[in-house]
Amino acid sequence: MDDMRNSGIFAAIRGTIRKTLKGRILMLRCASRLALLFWLTPGTLLSANSSSCVPLESMKASLLNGPTAATYSDLGVWFAGQKQYQCAADAFATSLRMEPDQKEAGNVAFMFGSSLYLSGDAKGAISAFSEAERRKLRSVKLHLMFAAAYDQLGWIGSAESEWRAALAQDWESSEALDGLSNDLIVDNDYAATIALLENPMISGQRTAEQSLNLGLAYAKMAKLEEAVKALRDGLNTSPDSLPLANELADLLVELGRSQEAITVLDLELAQHPGDPDTGFHYLQMLIGIDPGKAKEAGRRLLLAAPASWKLLYLNGVLEMQDGKLQQARDHLEKSVTLHPEFALSHDALGVVLAQLNDMRGAKEQLEKAIALGDDDAEVKDNLSRVLRVLGEAQ
Amino acid sequence: MPTRDLRWIQRIKPAVRAAWMLLSFAFFWMGAPQPRMQASGIGQHSEPVLANLDSGQSLSSISIDYPEDGSIFPPGITPPTFLWRDAAGIAWSIDISFADGTPGIHVQTQGVRMQIGAIDQDCISHTDDLPKLTLRQAATWTWTPDAATWAAIQSHSSGHSARVTITGYRGGQIPFSRASISLSTSIDPVDAPIFYRDVPLMPTKGVNGVVQPLAPSTIHLIHWRLRDIRKPESHTVLQNMPTCANCHSFSADGKTFGMDIDGPGNDKGLYAVVPVQKHMSIQSKDLVHWNVDGRVGQVRVGFMSQVSPDGRYVLSTFAGPALKLLDSYYVTNFMDYRFLQVFYPTRGILEWYSRATGVRQPLPGADDPQFVQTDGVWSPDGKYIIFARAEARDPRQPGQGPALRANDPNETPIQYDLYRIPFNDGKGGTPERIEGASQNGMSNNFPRVSPDGRWIVFVECHNGQLMRPDSLLFIVPFGGGAARRMRANTPLMNSWHSFSPNGHWMVFSSKARSPYTQMYLTHLDANGDDSPAILIDNATAANRAVNLPEFVNIDADGIQEIEVHVADDSK
Repeated sequence: MDDMRNSGIFAAIRGTIRKTLKGRILMLRCASRLALLFWLTPGTLLSANSSSCVPLESMKASLLNGPTAATYSDLGVWFAGQKQYQCAADAFATSLRMEPDQKEAGNVAFMFGSSLYLSGDAKGAISAFSEAERRKLRSVKLHLMFAAAYDQLGWIGSAESEWRAALAQDWESSEALDGLSNDLIVDNDYAATIALLENPMISGQRTAEQSLNLGLAYAKMAKLEEAVKALRDGLNTSPDSLPLANELADLLVELGRSQEAITVLDLELAQHPGDPDTGFHYLQMLIGIDPGKAKEAGRRLLLAAPASWKLLYLNGVLEMQDGKLQQARDHLEKSVTLHPEFALSHDALGVVLAQLNDMRGAKEQLEKAIALGDDDAEVKDNLSRVLRVLGEAQ
Repeated sequence: MPTRDLRWIQRIKPAVRAAWMLLSFAFFWMGAPQPRMQASGIGQHSEPVLANLDSGQSLSSISIDYPEDGSIFPPGITPPTFLWRDAAGIAWSIDISFADGTPGIHVQTQGVRMQIGAIDQDCISHTDDLPKLTLRQAATWTWTPDAATWAAIQSHSSGHSARVTITGYRGGQIPFSRASISLSTSIDPVDAPIFYRDVPLMPTKGVNGVVQPLAPSTIHLIHWRLRDIRKPESHTVLQNMPTCANCHSFSADGKTFGMDIDGPGNDKGLYAVVPVQKHMSIQSKDLVHWNVDGRVGQVRVGFMSQVSPDGRYVLSTFAGPALKLLDSYYVTNFMDYRFLQVFYPTRGILEWYSRATGVRQPLPGADDPQFVQTDGVWSPDGKYIIFARAEARDPRQPGQGPALRANDPNETPIQYDLYRIPFNDGKGGTPERIEGASQNGMSNNFPRVSPDGRWIVFVECHNGQLMRPDSLLFIVPFGGGAARRMRANTPLMNSWHSFSPNGHWMVFSSKARSPYTQMYLTHLDANGDDSPAILIDNATAANRAVNLPEFVNIDADGIQEIEVHVADDSK
């Protein structure tokens, strides 16, 4: 098994490691495991069953005529290249079973583990990586994969050790720096995050993820100006990074530099004109800073994205504030139609309907808001007053 | 029901920053119902929507990476390339305003992306990567003033600062981003060329698995060059050497040149000392053979040899009696071309060689075998020697693991302190520890004394010396005192420094921009305060490294060529 093939499979999984890490951070940040799934590409989650493992035509003959361990290893590499990771794992497993002491057993075990990891079996992957290690495989990639698998299982301490082992061999490894800094942030070890990412040896290579983590670490240590500097520097290197822009904008607002925050989001809006979250974040921030400008911006954003339930919601609330109750009603009704699970749209619509003297409608919307989990006392107050008007108050 | 009856619905809440959320959920909305949001969205924008910035709105900050704020340029230096990163602009104006009242300079540019320089095709190997832009560099925009513009900038910033403001635009007249720095042109000329070694970084592994920094077959690719910073290119004075040559040293008066040269049979015990001339020739008669000296030392370990200010003596580190090279140096080479070698003495004494008598002898006070004494340099008046000292030890301990990279914990630990000793016509004296450059938990090494004798600039790193990733330059008074970290330090490796003969400038090496080392200048004032690093552009190809830069007290064209006939003679 030559190193080229090993590199090939690693290249295939490299992007997924990043996506997985990004997903894990998102998961931890949002306290939602679903977020992890959101960030994983469907290909990494689909477990192909054996019936769908159809090898390349030219390989079939070899498989029929006395296949060797090498044949199955080749097959595994091919499946991995096709992103059929479960099929690849099966092939590598067969190779190892056929010839446990083959010369390249360490490499094959590594690729077996990588395939398992990519097919969603992190525990199985760790066993395979341990086997690769036992077979004297020494590689930065092995540490990276170990760490990614540990991270996926939430075994942060073990993951950190592996990221550090990878960095000991390659101090510029962006995967390891991303991963380790993510873990340190999750561990609330902000001083270590800063020490890691302020290392001058890697400052020129700092990824958007690392800049974000550095900014977060400074912010958490109440070093807000340093945080702004790190995030600004990161954004100037990675202008299309939405997380950096959003974090920087939030921080600037916190520092009372609202106009700067708006500038940051203005530019992000220009960079990502089709991104709904950017538009929403922009409008949301503008409402807090400059409501007059927000109304105009809200209209323009909605024109560009008429099906965004979030923008419909925000516009509806802005119009409600402006006394344009009918327009507010229209937008809020569209918003709840597009996304009926969002309690606050129901809440706002209930308020608008009450102002329009549609107390039955208001009651219905406020009750939906509460049913959807809006436990704000004011919603309940609103509902009880509406019920009083309707003569239904207890 | 009247509308006002429902005003109790309106909510007032302070802004909340939810750092961990991709979306923030609550914000301040005085006197109005508050929109709240809790879920990430699925909405779509179909077109760009951008609210133009008002004139009163804050601009985005540009990161100006070079030159740094407060930079001082030497007069006459070739135009620098300004570097900046900007998340906002796609075109820029550059305005330079002057304190001398001269009308400013206004330039508009679309910006040019930073690029890798020319590649030396002879120096491409499978063991080194071609230079790559870092993430930061790939996002960098550049502007290089033309010669006339730069001349005007230099003229009007001489002795006082000019303000350089870069403003970013997005296709209109409305500015979106801005930053500014100040720079000035010193009234102090550099007044001397820089001699340096220009090397490929091509480590090789021999059949026995031993890694060498450079294969014997590629030694001829090493060049020695002279650079007048007013010229856009360096002048090659020595190349195609059939044998390896190492550290060089010029006397302070610029009249004498010394250089380590390897002789036949890998004899590393040859040292050439010749007068400096436009056309120099090193011949066998110019060689000092350390190994046949017979009085002290069995094998040459002539390390960091320094010609005295008047050219009469050579000071160097030797293994001392009964010690061989392998017993006195920690050496590890790596295939990683970025920091391909770790090399420092763990035993050794200082010895001085008299060119008049041909005799080499230990320098009392710096010859204690209990210590390693190395990096000896002369004070400008020749009366003192500054050197680095540490407790002597074996280069390797039993069971010590191999170091896999520079600054690997498996390196033999050693931290030097700087000491001073009188030369005293070779009789030496009692070494005095230099406060501020010793016993500070760091390795203090590679001292250089300013030409006025007031300052010592030295390197601090965590372990050992030479080519250390974490090396930083510090300045301390000659008699010792509080050491100051120099402003010119770059993020990655700072060392191999040398003062200009007039003492106003210092050249040093760094890997800040590339693993292929480059050289930089810094200005020093009378208080020893220095300025941000100024890159000496185009000193070599992008895949070659500059090392051992040394100012030479000669005219800019004082050396045209150096011929070495030693190897031929030895065949």
